[in-house]
Amino acid sequence: MDEETIVWKGYLACIGEDSCVVQSPWYLGDDCVFGADSDYTTLAIAAIQLLQSKGSQINSINALNDVEASIIFMATGVEVMQTSNDDSEELTANWDLCISDDARVVVCKTDCDVELWEPEGGLEVDEEFHQQITLAWEKECLPEHVSQGAYISEQQYQEGAAARLNLMSQKMDGELIWPPRQMDKKGNLMPQASTSLQEVATIESWTKLAAAGAPSEFSIRAPLLGGITTVFVRFEQGPRGVFLLVDDEDNNPKIGDQVQFAIRRIYAQEAFIRYGLKCQIIRD
Amino acid sequence: MVDVAVIGAGQTKYGNHPLGLKAMWAEAATNAFNSVDNNFEANLVDEAFIGSVAFGGAQLGNTAAILTEHSGMKGCSVRRVENACASSGFALRDAMMAIKSGEADIVVAGGIEKMNDLSAERKRYWLGVSGDTEWERLAGLTFPGTYALMARRHFHEYGSNHDDLVNISVKNHMHGFENEFAHIRKEVSFEKAASGFMVADPLTLYDCCPTSDGASCVILAADHVVREFTDDPIWLKGSGAGSDHLALHDRHSITQMSAPQKAVAQAYKGSGVATTDIDLADVHTCFTIVELMATEDQGFANRGIGGLFARQGRGIRDEGDVAINPSGGLKSKGHPLGATGTGQAVEVFKQLKGTVESARQIRDAKIGLTHNVGGSGATCAVHIFGRDR
Repeated sequence: MDEETIVWKGYLACIGEDSCVVQSPWYLGDDCVFGADSDYTTLAIAAIQLLQSKGSQINSINALNDVEASIIFMATGVEVMQTSNDDSEELTANWDLCISDDARVVVCKTDCDVELWEPEGGLEVDEEFHQQITLAWEKECLPEHVSQGAYISEQQYQEGAAARLNLMSQKMDGELIWPPRQMDKKGNLMPQASTSLQEVATIESWTKLAAAGAPSEFSIRAPLLGGITTVFVRFEQGPRGVFLLVDDEDNNPKIGDQVQFAIRRIYAQEAFIRYGLKCQIIRD
Repeated sequence: MVDVAVIGAGQTKYGNHPLGLKAMWAEAATNAFNSVDNNFEANLVDEAFIGSVAFGGAQLGNTAAILTEHSGMKGCSVRRVENACASSGFALRDAMMAIKSGEADIVVAGGIEKMNDLSAERKRYWLGVSGDTEWERLAGLTFPGTYALMARRHFHEYGSNHDDLVNISVKNHMHGFENEFAHIRKEVSFEKAASGFMVADPLTLYDCCPTSDGASCVILAADHVVREFTDDPIWLKGSGAGSDHLALHDRHSITQMSAPQKAVAQAYKGSGVATTDIDLADVHTCFTIVELMATEDQGFANRGIGGLFARQGRGIRDEGDVAINPSGGLKSKGHPLGATGTGQAVEVFKQLKGTVESARQIRDAKIGLTHNVGGSGATCAVHIFGRDR
C-alpha cells in the first residue's frame, strides 16, 4: 500500500492496488474520532468511491452490520452483503469492508493483506465539542425523536435519494434537469433520471443561519455548531441546488468559490438517518 | 361582467393575541361588519373564503366552517384557502371570482392564524413548511435562509447592500408606530436596526417580521347590491395571481420573483391602472429584501435599483411618492400568515375611505395596491383598489 496520505472527500486516505484505508481527520489524543456529521457509512462510501475513481470494479462487498447497506448501494452501486462476525461462511463477495474500533474503514479484496498506515494531516478536535456532538447524535437517533410538524418521511426521502446521493439528473432536449421533475409543460411524464451531474459546482449565494433560525430537524446540533451554513450552487452542466457544508467546519464561503461534494449525515428522526451530499469548498 | 366592491373590512390587533381562534375571528368579523356604512347582518353572506395555514394544527380540518359557525354565518358555503402566507390574498381573489361568476352577491374573504400559543420548540416545526421541504429543509433552510440567499445574490448582482434593507426596516417601523393594530409599535433608529443580531447572514433581526396572531375580514358585494350597504364603496378594480417553482434552485433567477411579476401585470391590465397611479401599496415584507424586490417587481423602481429606491428614502408616506407599507407592513404591523393578505386589504380599504388614524392617513389617496406573497415567492396575489369604479 502506498504510504502517501490523500485528502479525499474531507477524509484522510491511503490507497493500494486492491485496497484503501479511509479515516476521519479528527483526533482526540491518539484516538481517531468521527467529525460532526460522519459515521462508518460515510467513510465506507468514500472508500468505495476512491477505489472506483482509480478504476476498481466493485460489484458487492462483505460488511458487518454497522453500515447502512441501502445508502451505500444508492451512493456507489455496490451491494453490501451484510453479516455478523460469527457467520464467515456468509461472506460471498470478493471485497471486504472492515471497520476499526476508531473512525477508520478498510476496503480491500478478500485475499488482500492490508498494512495500516500512519496518516499525515490529522487534526485535534476539541474534547468537549466532540463529546457534545456525539451525545447530540445519540439523542437525535433515538426512535422517540420525532417531528411535531414539518416532516420528510423515510418514503419521501427514499424517492429522492438517488438524486440526493448520486446527483442523478434527467436529460431532456439536451439539458440536464436536477433535482428530477415529474412532468413537462405538455403534461408528459419526464424521462428517468439516468445521468449523474459532475461533482463540481460554483457558489452563487450562501447564508449562515443562527441556531435559532435553523429548521427544527437541526435544533439539537445547530447550537453546538454555532449555526449551520447553506450554499446555493450552480453545477457546471447548468442545474442549481442548495447544500449544507461538510462538517460545517469551513463555514466562510464566498460567491464564486468552487465546491466539491461528499456524502454525510444530514439529520435523523425516528431512528432513521437521512444522508445526503454536502459541499466542501475547494481551497488552493 | 359584474363589478365588485369592498363594503366593509376589519381586523384584530396583530401580536401576541390573548384570544383563541374563534374569538379572534369573531373580533375581526365584528369589526368588518361594523365598518359597513349601513346595517349589515352576518346571515346575508352567500360564500366565505378563509385563508389559513392552520399553524400548529389546532384546527387543521374544517377551519372555515368552525369560524363561520361562531360568527353568525352558519350555513353559508365556506372553505379554507391555503397558499402559505398568501392564503388570504388568494381567498380575496376567490371571493371576487365568486361574485363575478354571478353565483354570489355578498362574499366574505378573510384570514386567520394563531402562532404564539405554541412552545418555541414546537413553533420551529411549523416554520418553513411552505418551501420545497424535501430539498430545502434537508439543506438546512427555512425562510430566513432562503431570503438571505436572495439578498446576498441581489447585493452581488446589483450593488445593493444591507444598509438599503435597514432603511426599509426603519421606514416600516416609523409607519407602524402610528398603527393601533400593529404588532410592533416601536420606532427604531438606523443604527439600532443596522446592529441587530444575525438571524441568517446577511439578514438580521430587524430584517425579519415577527410571528403574529391575528385575523382579518373583508366583505365584498356585487355592484347591483352595493348601494344597499354604502354610498361610498371601495372598488376592487383588478386582481392578478401567479405561481412559480417552490425551490429557489429551480427558478430562473433568485433576485426577482416571477409570480408577483405575473400577478401585478394581470392586475394592472384588468384595472386599467398604471404604476404611477398608485398612491399606496401594502407589499409583502416578511423580510426586508422582499420589499426591496417588490419595488422592482411592482414597477416602482427599475430592475436592480430597488436598493437605491430605499437608500433615497422613497416609499415614505406623504413624501410625494407612492407610500409603501403605510401600515408598517409585515415587518412592523406583523405577519399572522393566513390573515396577512386580507389584512393588507383592510389597510387599503381604510386608507381609501379615510378612516385610519389621522397621523398616518395618506392625503388624497385614491388608488391602493396589495401584494401578498406565499412562501419564498411560489405564489402571489395582487389586488388594486380604487375610490372610483
